[in-house]
Amino acid sequence: MSPAISQFELNTTIANLRDLRESDLRDYDGVYLGDIYCRIYEANFLEQPDDLKEGLRILQDQGKRAYVTTYAGPRNDFLPRVRKMLEASAAAGAEAVEVHNLGILKIAHDEFPQLPVHIGGFANVYTAPGVEVLREFGAVRFTPNYELSLDEINEITTACGAPMELLVHGKMPLGISDYCFLLDYEEKWGVKCPDLCQKELFLKQGDWAMKSVGKGILSGKDVCMLEHLPRLLAEGHRYFRIETVSETPAYRSEVAAVYRAALNRVAAGDGEVDEGWWETVRRHARIGLCNGFYFGRSGMDYAGVRPDAIGSLLTISRAES
Amino acid sequence: MACGIRLVARVRSAGRLVTAVPVLLAPAGSRQAVAAALDAGADAVYVGLKGWSRGGARRELDWDELVAAQREAASAGGRLQVAINTIPKARERAQLFERIPGLLDLGIDEVIVNDVGMLAALRKRFPGLRLTAGIGCGAQTVADVAFFRDLGAHAVVLPGTVSPAEMREIRTVHGIAVEIMIHMVEEFVLLGKCWMPSYVHLKPSPLPSLFRSQTRDGDDAPEGALSGLRQTGSMKRGGVGACFRICQQSWELYVGGRRVDARLFPSRQISRIAEVKAYAEAGVDVLKLQGRSLPVELLAPLVRRYREAIDARTVPAADEVRSAALPATWAVVGR
Repeated sequence: MSPAISQFELNTTIANLRDLRESDLRDYDGVYLGDIYCRIYEANFLEQPDDLKEGLRILQDQGKRAYVTTYAGPRNDFLPRVRKMLEASAAAGAEAVEVHNLGILKIAHDEFPQLPVHIGGFANVYTAPGVEVLREFGAVRFTPNYELSLDEINEITTACGAPMELLVHGKMPLGISDYCFLLDYEEKWGVKCPDLCQKELFLKQGDWAMKSVGKGILSGKDVCMLEHLPRLLAEGHRYFRIETVSETPAYRSEVAAVYRAALNRVAAGDGEVDEGWWETVRRHARIGLCNGFYFGRSGMDYAGVRPDAIGSLLTISRAES
Repeated sequence: MACGIRLVARVRSAGRLVTAVPVLLAPAGSRQAVAAALDAGADAVYVGLKGWSRGGARRELDWDELVAAQREAASAGGRLQVAINTIPKARERAQLFERIPGLLDLGIDEVIVNDVGMLAALRKRFPGLRLTAGIGCGAQTVADVAFFRDLGAHAVVLPGTVSPAEMREIRTVHGIAVEIMIHMVEEFVLLGKCWMPSYVHLKPSPLPSLFRSQTRDGDDAPEGALSGLRQTGSMKRGGVGACFRICQQSWELYVGGRRVDARLFPSRQISRIAEVKAYAEAGVDVLKLQGRSLPVELLAPLVRRYREAIDARTVPAADEVRSAALPATWAVVGR
């Protein structure tokens, strides 16, 4: 059963203990710990069981819902570590584990049935029958594939009543690779892994861009659903993600403050967006804002009620000029 | 056999060692390609069903071509698999399901899918179908294979990036056939985990009107014919001309706001022909080749070279293996 309109959840992702300690999480209800892309991401929670336990404790002490995510593109040799991480998560009282990979879903279901499973965006939930399959493996919450429109998502929820978790702000995952091309630059830049992907890296092609996190590719623009929150709540959605795994603590806290205030206002019956909120999300958007695929258009389009409010959609070259 | 591959794996007695010989599964994008692949030594051929296979209409067979291809395969002693690896919406799915009995009537009972929901729905509705979780399902590990076994898949396809050593561990999972895409293009982003093209460009395209030849009176608007729109640009969901090959275009790399390089995403053509025996000994059931759009003049020699490698009594040294490489231009466009 969906929680009442005032009981929405705002959550995010944090990859390591340093970022967790530096982040002001007051406006979040929950946090997923771990980087889903790379085993050697700097101090990745998913490779550091002691850090993971400490991270879960920090979240629990702050009264947050403490979740753990898992790798999106594992190979056989990941699996022993995945099992250890799931074991540590269960022992430390994680409220749920997020799963992007179907093999890990089976492991979680078979070996750690006490851990509720949230399905992540790389698990490719496209249809209601897909949701039903994953439910049989213990899944209780679903991030639909990012390509789905709100209408398509609502078709799924109408058909099977599954609670959906929606990315409402941040850079949308677009792909994952087995290979980190940044390693090509270790010598040239004099920067070694895992420091390479800590830099701000964008790939530009013509008038559009993507952000690189090594093995992961994210949208260049930030998905922004700020002015569409009334629709999301009206359609029954209650679980909202601000994707900040590759962002600064300032981004994490300031964008969350905007969405917390906006969601509270919508829950109270007012959908007005403050100009100061726009200023905050514009300031943190390195390339520009988009709506992802929620309106059945190209993922980098923006379909605003007030298109002028998002400001000019900066390209990298314009940002630098 | 417990797994879904109905093709009879031949067993070769090479003196002392008896090793099951994997099935060679070739791609085909036309009736002519089906014949060429079988003639070159393929045990089985997979084709796309027009309107329902990922990759677009250029590499799909309409119903008449499918009927002819099935006849061709049957007369050659081979088998035909059909890729239904788009992810239809609910209304489209119902229309597709109306056509499955026609496939079964033709003697085609092996279908490749791309989505767990489709797999489960087809298994429930058509228990006579033998279902393969295609490469777009993203399986790479022993746990993934166990998942698809539990889901009721008869076979699962793994990418050629999975080594024979990994395959040995994977083959500890019983009750499901394992296929390796032994010849393929490895793109930068994992198959089934990419929505870069649709981030750039997503537009509705008309669905093809299908199965006209199945109607008795040749009506242009037969019952069950599809109409409506499909989202072009989605690699995963499929559709007409689905991929804009974003990953094959040149990029400018910016670090901290400064342009530092122009580059391509890494991609490569994988040909593990020298490891055919290693895969066979690891227990792989099917060696699959990628490339439904390959022209016959490229497809036939490719299939023949893998046939030779499979049939060889000993593994030739790498420099003795006749090249199975395709022209460099055959990249993503040729999958």
